[in-house]
Amino acid sequence: MVGIVLISHSSGLAEGAAELAGQIAGGARVVAAGGTDDGRLGTSTERITEAIAAADAGDGVLLLPDLGSSVLSALALLEELDARRLRIADAPFVEGAVAAAVAASAGLDLDTVARSAEEARDARKL
Amino acid sequence: MPASSEPTDPGTADAVIRIVVLPKHLHARPAGKVAQAAARHPATTIELHHGHRKANARSVLGVMGLGAVAGAEVRVLTTGGEAAAVADEIVDILCAPEAE
Repeated sequence: MVGIVLISHSSGLAEGAAELAGQIAGGARVVAAGGTDDGRLGTSTERITEAIAAADAGDGVLLLPDLGSSVLSALALLEELDARRLRIADAPFVEGAVAAAVAASAGLDLDTVARSAEEARDARKL
Repeated sequence: MPASSEPTDPGTADAVIRIVVLPKHLHARPAGKVAQAAARHPATTIELHHGHRKANARSVLGVMGLGAVAGAEVRVLTTGGEAAAVADEIVDILCAPEAE
């Protein structure tokens, strides 16, 4: 199953989004990587790397950053790690996490999971 | 068109429509279950219609975006693959009692 890592400046935001996506998509592997190592707002390459390892079940990992340096951190890790098994989704954070988690939980492949997250850009809620 | 002995057009020959009145809101969790089920049947096209809106069942956000609440009429349209069995599976999810 494809794993999903939610990258945010805020650990509360990343963990809340992971909890929500996990509830809606039972069985998905959604791991939060939010905040700095000492609990402040920010991004931590180490935390993201650990989250990728925790999410990885062998079928690849989708990174979903919220904004700003979350995106830059994700891009930097893509250069460092095995890029064939990682994708970054350009998608709204909550909606993308939910859509990706549902796709991943159904056993779809990394490209399809990434596309599901990115289709969230067009989803209307009203 | 001359009548053909065997229905061979997969786009129309095996189209199935089911109409349900929702016993519960079609909100996040059931929408997730619908999308998970849809993903398990890639050979079948599944649409949900509610009023003027329609959603591809594979899109959890699209299904949530229907805004279908308890008491609403939802049509489930399936074509291709095991269209009838898939339609029944989706109807079962829509009609299942609220979990937990």
